[in-house]
This record gives sequence, C-alpha cells and structure tokens, in this order.
Amino acid sequence: MTFDFLEYAIFAVLAVAVIGGGAMVVLLGRITSAALFMAMTFLAVAGMFVLLGAETLAAFQVLIYVGAITVLILYGVMFTPQSAREYALFFQKQTPWAAVFVGLVALPVLLFAFQFRDGRPLPRGGDLVPLATSLFGDFAFPFEVASVLLLAALVGAIVLVKRDEEEDA
Amino acid sequence: MEGGVPLGAYIAVSAALFFIGCAGVLMRRNAVVILMCVELMLNAANLALVAFSRRYGSVDERGSVFVTFVFVVAAAEVAVGLAIVLSAYRTRPVVDVDEARAMRG
Repeated sequence: MTFDFLEYAIFAVLAVAVIGGGAMVVLLGRITSAALFMAMTFLAVAGMFVLLGAETLAAFQVLIYVGAITVLILYGVMFTPQSAREYALFFQKQTPWAAVFVGLVALPVLLFAFQFRDGRPLPRGGDLVPLATSLFGDFAFPFEVASVLLLAALVGAIVLVKRDEEEDA
Repeated sequence: MEGGVPLGAYIAVSAALFFIGCAGVLMRRNAVVILMCVELMLNAANLALVAFSRRYGSVDERGSVFVTFVFVVAAAEVAVGLAIVLSAYRTRPVVDVDEARAMRG
C-alpha cells in the first residue's frame, strides 16, 4: 500500500491532539478554555475510534461527549462564578504529592503499554451490526437497567437543583 | 489490516490520557474542572476498550458494548455531578473543593 503512511500520520496528529488537549484541560486557568480543549480531546478520541474501525462508537462519541457533555459542562461553568481565589496550580500543597504519585504509577504503565501486540484483527466492515446484535441480544437486560439509571439520574438532577423556598413561583 | 498503527500505541495514548486526567483530579481545586478530568479518564478507558476489542477480534463486539454502557454512566455522572456542584454552590457560594468542608468531622 502506497498510502500506508497516511494512517501513521493521522494517528500522530490525533495522538498529539488527545494528549495536548488533555494537558490543556489540566493546566489552563480559564475554565471555559479548558472545557473547549476537553471537547477537542473528545473529537480526537472519536477520530481514533474511526481509525480503529469503530464508526458507530465514533458517532456516539461525537453526539454524547462533544455534543451533550461539553454543553452541560459549559452550563456548569456559566452558573458558577470562577476564581474565588487566584489561579495557582503549582503553588498549592497537593501538587507535589500528586505529581510524585502519578509519575510513579504512570511511567511503568506507559512502558508496559507498548508491550501489547496485535491479535487477530476483525474483518473490515462496520461495527454497527455486531454491536446491535450484542446490545439487543445478550445484553438486553443491562440495556434496560441503563435506561433506568438514566431516568434516575435525570430525576435526581432535577430534585437536587430544585429551589425549596420558592414553591409559590 | 496488516501493518497499520500497532495496538501498543493506542494503549499508550489511552494510558497517557488517563494519567493526565488523574493528575487533574488530584491537583485542580475547581469542582467543574475535576468533573472534566473524570470525563477524560472515562474516555481513556473507552479508547483502551475499543482498541482491544477491534484488535483482538471478538466477533460480537463485547468491548464496544461496554463502551456504550460507559457512555450512559458518564452522561448520568456528569448530570448528577453538576447538580451537586450547583446545589452546593447555592448553599454556600464556593466552587473550590478545598473550601467545601461542611461535612468534615
């Protein structure tokens, strides 16, 4: 294949977008910018899903994460005032311990991650039919439980933010 | 699918994203940012699940089914989490998790 390098190039761009966007979410002081970088990270992960051949999950990812969750987070940012204290990521007491802990765990895991070798790949073709066959066949009961969980979360969110003192309104 | 990007590269990106989110949860103090970092960690787990599912070739896509359930749980989690942040902010105008010590013994 003459275009084989293209997959590597796209993967490199997506990997830079994923890791850079994630780092920006952690490092940026402005919460709105962090939320938008989080959306960029989600989009890059959706691109990786496409590269892996999971197009349906990529569509779900764009719909749910980039669409719903980012908008929800942006609403949360707008409803809460920002920076009661000044932004000081590197001058607080948790930072050294967090850096030591994450560094100690992350380095062996990152080295170990490259040990994985490819197994038997799937035949080319969409993932919609096998996904739907599993989801509505073997996993039909967990699917229904998930719908109940979503309903409970919806009702719980409404109850949590309901104002009690303004019942007359 | 001979050649192509090796599985280890996807797993390494997933691990890196997970630990970035983990560092964010441990270091940031804004509750909304902590929620965003938890979403990053869930997304990293999704990436690892999809990579293993596609490259180790179970024909019925069990990994993708798990990813679908992670989507559902993540949506429920962020909705309830933001509701808790908003209601805590209404009780006392504080978004900083260091200041939220009403339940400390």
